[in-house]
Amino acid sequence: MKIDSKSIDVAYKEGRDFLLEHEALKIFESVGITFPPNALVNDTKEALAFAKKVGYPVVIKAMSPEILHKSDYKAVVIGINDDDDLKAKFDDMKKRLAKYNLEGILIEKQVKKGIELIIGMNIDPTFGPVVAFGIGGILVEAISDVTFRLCPTTKERALRMINEIKTQKMLNGFRGLPPVDRDALAEMIVKVSKLAIDLEDYIKEIDLNPIIANEDGVYGVDARIILKKK
Amino acid sequence: MVNNPLQSFFEAKSIAIFGASSEIEKPGYVIAENFLKNFVGKTYLINPKGGEILGQPVYKSIFDFDDPVEEAVIIVPAKYVPSTMEDCAKKGIKSVVIITGGFKEIGEEGKTLQKRIDEIAKENNIRVVGPNCIGLFYPKRGIDMVFLPDSKLTRPKKGGISILTQSGAFGSAFLDIMGTLGNGNYLSKFVSYGNASDINEADILEYFGEDPETKIILAYLEGFNEGKRFIEAARKVSLKKPIIAIKANRNEAGAHAVASHTASLAANDAVTDALFREAGIIRVYTWDELFDCMVAFNSSLLPEGNRVLIITDGGGAGVMASDSVGELGLELAQLSPAIHDKMKEDLPAFFSVENPIDLTGSATAKEYIYSLEQTKDDPNIDSITYIIIPTPPAINVKDLMEGLKPYAKTMNKTITFCALGGAEAVYIREELEQMNFPFYPTPARAIYGIDKLTEYADFLRDHGQKLPIIREIPK
Repeated sequence: MKIDSKSIDVAYKEGRDFLLEHEALKIFESVGITFPPNALVNDTKEALAFAKKVGYPVVIKAMSPEILHKSDYKAVVIGINDDDDLKAKFDDMKKRLAKYNLEGILIEKQVKKGIELIIGMNIDPTFGPVVAFGIGGILVEAISDVTFRLCPTTKERALRMINEIKTQKMLNGFRGLPPVDRDALAEMIVKVSKLAIDLEDYIKEIDLNPIIANEDGVYGVDARIILKKK
Repeated sequence: MVNNPLQSFFEAKSIAIFGASSEIEKPGYVIAENFLKNFVGKTYLINPKGGEILGQPVYKSIFDFDDPVEEAVIIVPAKYVPSTMEDCAKKGIKSVVIITGGFKEIGEEGKTLQKRIDEIAKENNIRVVGPNCIGLFYPKRGIDMVFLPDSKLTRPKKGGISILTQSGAFGSAFLDIMGTLGNGNYLSKFVSYGNASDINEADILEYFGEDPETKIILAYLEGFNEGKRFIEAARKVSLKKPIIAIKANRNEAGAHAVASHTASLAANDAVTDALFREAGIIRVYTWDELFDCMVAFNSSLLPEGNRVLIITDGGGAGVMASDSVGELGLELAQLSPAIHDKMKEDLPAFFSVENPIDLTGSATAKEYIYSLEQTKDDPNIDSITYIIIPTPPAINVKDLMEGLKPYAKTMNKTITFCALGGAEAVYIREELEQMNFPFYPTPARAIYGIDKLTEYADFLRDHGQKLPIIREIPK
């Protein structure tokens, strides 16, 4: 699989040390990490056409080199259920964030409710690149239920990682949700760990948080790639 | 073995001691004495002052005799180490242990000096252990570079445990404990690697992994020279023999500015923890835990499962042990019905033949031995903890210990022991340690020992490995 890493050059050229989410998505999707259907759009017409194709509900996110932590800017709106709603929220977002040099709006099909997990990568000062897996979402740092492996890792090791986190209850069919697809999750861990090595010269940190595991499968829902300083 | 550099250090037939001293309070004397008394090969003493030590000549220079020399121990002051290294090079010595401190650990001046010895070593294909360490100890061949006199540090005798330690002080204290424990038969090889200018923790782990005499590996680490390689080596070694490791300096922060969740979760110790677990390293955090694991692995067997039987004469001790079983995720075993019924019939009616088996304050030595005899082959039990409170009037502890002696040779199930109390408990401890049974001062620690054995046995089964037999049967 050829990694689509053109956006890294773009980011460096613009003097950024992080990728915008739609740029990171290109990299992840090119190595087979699954995301819900998504598109970068510029106006309501494109947004409505996308929604018509994939169906509601959808999520919109503002893509701007000036916005790293999207929640600080209310740059993510979820639960958009019909055309009118989409038009209104889209216009509002563009207006509110106009001053932030928007590259576009990332529109995504909203995935069904599921367990929120995290897969990430960090360069450990002692051990080099390590891949992380654990309970994700907004409580990730409060719960801190996460484990690590050297990069690259294998599917067997990734499956053990999944077995290793403390909150196993969450993975085995929690509150009426189906059990997490451990196989798909393990493959995703392996892909992130390989990406870390393939792009070792460029990537400093990766966050796929949250990943949502639901009845349909396992999806990255927010993605972040931090680059090494050039 | 694939040319591990450490092999020649332990197999050398001739050793030169640079800095041998006739002053008995100096390290140079202690090391000279160690070798003259115990080394199975030839020892050459070197000191520019000449003279003799314990009737052996001290050469003023390594060039004052023609015999070839394979290995050197250097104890001369730091500033003379480079010239001594050059002498070693000229003499054709390829294995050098530098005990001397005053290098990288003292700052810039020391760093320069260490760089100089690195250069000499590289140019001449010399492999180096140290500097700033207490060197090697290998009781089987009388290689003993520990400069602490044996009147103060009791040497362990030949056994199956090998130790690698970054800290010499830690290593020497642990050696002393092993030397005074039970029959003292514990140690295969010991390497204190200090500043690791050349040979480091990963080299030593690989060597111990391949070494047939090493059955158990203990490691004390504060940092890593080659962290990734250490983990990769451990993955292979842990499938063959247990690696029990302390990684101290746990607050050493991965202190760098981070922008992602992952990086903030990856505080260095959490990563170490996960990578150790993945590599099958049994990580311990305290001195007690290291000791408890050492005796468990050295003196018991790996269990087939997680079902624990508690045998005791003290209700409270049994309850506390049961709590530990639950907290650690082990299970209380259920006796096989036939065994249960027989014991129920044979023992006084007021004894509790459940789990714990409670022999009560009316217990005798005979009933203690009987309980072990009945349960030791029960397939429903994977391990046994034997907790003795010696105070009840009817227990004759001498009889009990005599009665246990045959089991020291035949016991085929995981077992740990505990005795609670004063003088008689101390007596029991000493007796059991002589029998090479794992003894613990508290019920919780006796169960902890079982837990770590169970965890490692699970790891091996999980990775398709057979359980090795580590415990040596005492003669």
